[in-house]
Amino acid sequence: MQMATEQLEGDVTKVVFDGRFDIAGADAVDLKMNVIAGSKKFVLVDMQKVSFLGSMGLRTIVSAARTIKSRGGKMAVYGPDEEVEKVLTMSGVTALVPIHHDLQSAIASLQ
Amino acid sequence: MQRSMDQSMTVDGANRTSHAELTLRSRMAELSLVPPWIEQLGAEHAISASTQFAMNLCLEEVLSNIIRHGYGNNGDRVISVRYAPSQNNSVLLVIDDEAPHFNPLAAEETPVEETLDGTRIGGLGIRLVRGFAESLKYEPTAAGNRLIIGFSTADQPRPASLLCDPPQ
Repeated sequence: MQMATEQLEGDVTKVVFDGRFDIAGADAVDLKMNVIAGSKKFVLVDMQKVSFLGSMGLRTIVSAARTIKSRGGKMAVYGPDEEVEKVLTMSGVTALVPIHHDLQSAIASLQ
Repeated sequence: MQRSMDQSMTVDGANRTSHAELTLRSRMAELSLVPPWIEQLGAEHAISASTQFAMNLCLEEVLSNIIRHGYGNNGDRVISVRYAPSQNNSVLLVIDDEAPHFNPLAAEETPVEETLDGTRIGGLGIRLVRGFAESLKYEPTAAGNRLIIGFSTADQPRPASLLCDPPQ
């Protein structure tokens, strides 16, 4: 699992995940995601290149979302494929982290 | 690094798997053997990408649970996973371990609200397994436990039906 960040306009930080968000993938990015969640206010999680999402990957996302929310910020997920979106929806995470398939609407939801 | 999946694959000096069966040691690192095994099954049996996703998801949740809780992170035990084609557009994965008897289907799901407020997150796995499997059956065995997970190979998998008594 690879993780890259990009600073967008409007104080939005885009986090791009690439690979399998399984147990090993979550282990690889947990610390870096904790740093983002503890320091950034508006976070867009780009999941277009995530090919798999399991419960440990979900845990990473939920944990970050809770931290960001507690700091008065917002987090949104952008571009998951059909199966990854099914995992997000089935887990109930979408009540905390909205899913978008349009980049501009995803960014707008954070403002 | 992805290991080759030849018919009589040798890993660490032991013949541990064939196309239809994967034998894992009870270590989290061994879970990396699952995706290439599923991918190979998918290629050989024309299993759709969505069914392969469901098989991967259920195996990660179930196997990690056996390693952590069934075997208590003792890395010297084994878990076997067998692939079995079934009738009616479905396939089965049969998972055998030698851990103390435990019916994972009787485990309580974490309520969504408790997942979101962070008080409990560990029960997410069984929720996902129930959602992505077509059928689930648990059998205690003389050696330990057997879980049989069915997956639809049709385009629209049906929700999992429990073939054992649901949790009270």
